[in-house]
Amino acid sequence: MNLERLPNEEKLSLCRKYYLGGFAFLPFLWLVNVVWFFREAFVKPVYSEQLQIKTYVKRSAFGLLLWVAVLTTWITIFQHFRAEWGEVGDYLSFTIPLGIP
Amino acid sequence: MLFVPVTLCMVVVVATIKSVSFYTQNDGQRLIYTPFPEDTDTVAQRAVNSILNATIMITVIIVMTLVLVLLYKYRCYKVIQGWLFLSSLLLLFFFSYIYLKEVFKTYNVAMDYFTLAVIIWNFGVVGMMCIHWKGPLRLQQAYLIMISALMALVFIKYLPEWTAWLILAVISVYDLLAVLCPKGPLRILVETAQERNEPIFPALIYSSTMVWLVNMADTDRPKRNSTDAASPQQETADAVASPAPSSLSQDDGGFTPTWVNQQQHQLGPIQSTEDTRREIQEMPSARPPVDDDDEERGVKLGLGDFIFYSMLVGKASATASGDWNTTLACFVAILIGLCLTLLLLAIFKKALPALPISIFFGLVFYFATDNLVQPFMDRLALHQFYI
Repeated sequence: MNLERLPNEEKLSLCRKYYLGGFAFLPFLWLVNVVWFFREAFVKPVYSEQLQIKTYVKRSAFGLLLWVAVLTTWITIFQHFRAEWGEVGDYLSFTIPLGIP
Repeated sequence: MLFVPVTLCMVVVVATIKSVSFYTQNDGQRLIYTPFPEDTDTVAQRAVNSILNATIMITVIIVMTLVLVLLYKYRCYKVIQGWLFLSSLLLLFFFSYIYLKEVFKTYNVAMDYFTLAVIIWNFGVVGMMCIHWKGPLRLQQAYLIMISALMALVFIKYLPEWTAWLILAVISVYDLLAVLCPKGPLRILVETAQERNEPIFPALIYSSTMVWLVNMADTDRPKRNSTDAASPQQETADAVASPAPSSLSQDDGGFTPTWVNQQQHQLGPIQSTEDTRREIQEMPSARPPVDDDDEERGVKLGLGDFIFYSMLVGKASATASGDWNTTLACFVAILIGLCLTLLLLAIFKKALPALPISIFFGLVFYFATDNLVQPFMDRLALHQFYI
């Protein structure tokens, strides 16, 4: 999918769809949105839809940062306290490492 | 330009095989397509079993290909699309779940269900979007490489030794026949596609560059008009209007002669608690570079080619006595074969099967290195004799 070949309305629509899709617990989609449309939004010379694309990219980036923060916090908590939680820790674990924690 | 993705796929497979022992363990599980065990008492029995296994597998593949050609001929596009969709769904979610589990186990990392769910969900959904809908080209290529690697790993795990080598050999022969013979199913498929001016199953072909789909109704310019940026509106309208089975295919239309070999493998339930069915289509044939007025010269390679190349190299790294020597030798052999195939492609300008040459070289190099070069090297090392 080459963005160069698309008309601007299509680009906007694609950006919007990626942005809306990210709300379904898909921070990766927001990341793709930001990376893919970054040049379109900030580097290219101005065109009519660019402002909206900019807003979408910015919001995607914000949402992504939020997700990253949440996930990092959760992972740190989990990894640190997993052994201490005993049963609850095991129940939450998908893989349990061998050996002494 | 196809070397990088093929290399990447092989690297991923070999790296996984070397580190994650799951894929080389023999749990006694087999696919239902290879029912004969290979741990028999006599060598003769083993040989017979492996031949039978390979025959069953090839028959399944041939039948599936014929079914696919028939479906295509009678315009049952929805069935084909659904099939493709389901199989990529299975690969992206289920197999990557198993892969992740094994990787975490190998590295002794704890993982909780929540994070895992987020990871798998993201990976899968973005993968489906990139492959079947619209997404950045690089990401789509990366996903295709990843699913090829996953598929190759599954084959390496579940196909017993001799069966695997036999299947590789027979598939190459079949590929050659199916693509080049006038009555071959794939030739029929491609000719039908050409008559209808349609692209063929873009969802499972790796293409190295972006090419635009052209409108079927656009009779003035039947060729792809991808470089014509002045009429992007028309192009996009065309792309949407095309009756291609997969939306927004980035392939060229069926104008360039394309020979596609589809093979569907149906993995029946394995002897474990999970009961899954997966169908994958593989199309191991190379299509010629687009050589018309467009700047884009995309070379396409079917995902089946990726899968079998990686399977060969992975098997070599898993089971060879020569270890890295053999692996490297097979790797080089496959790349040489790919080179030659691309050369032939440029000469003949029609689609060719990509499997035969590479697999043939790969097999020759594997057996030769394993049985001739490696003992030689061992002896030299033993006697500390450097050449």
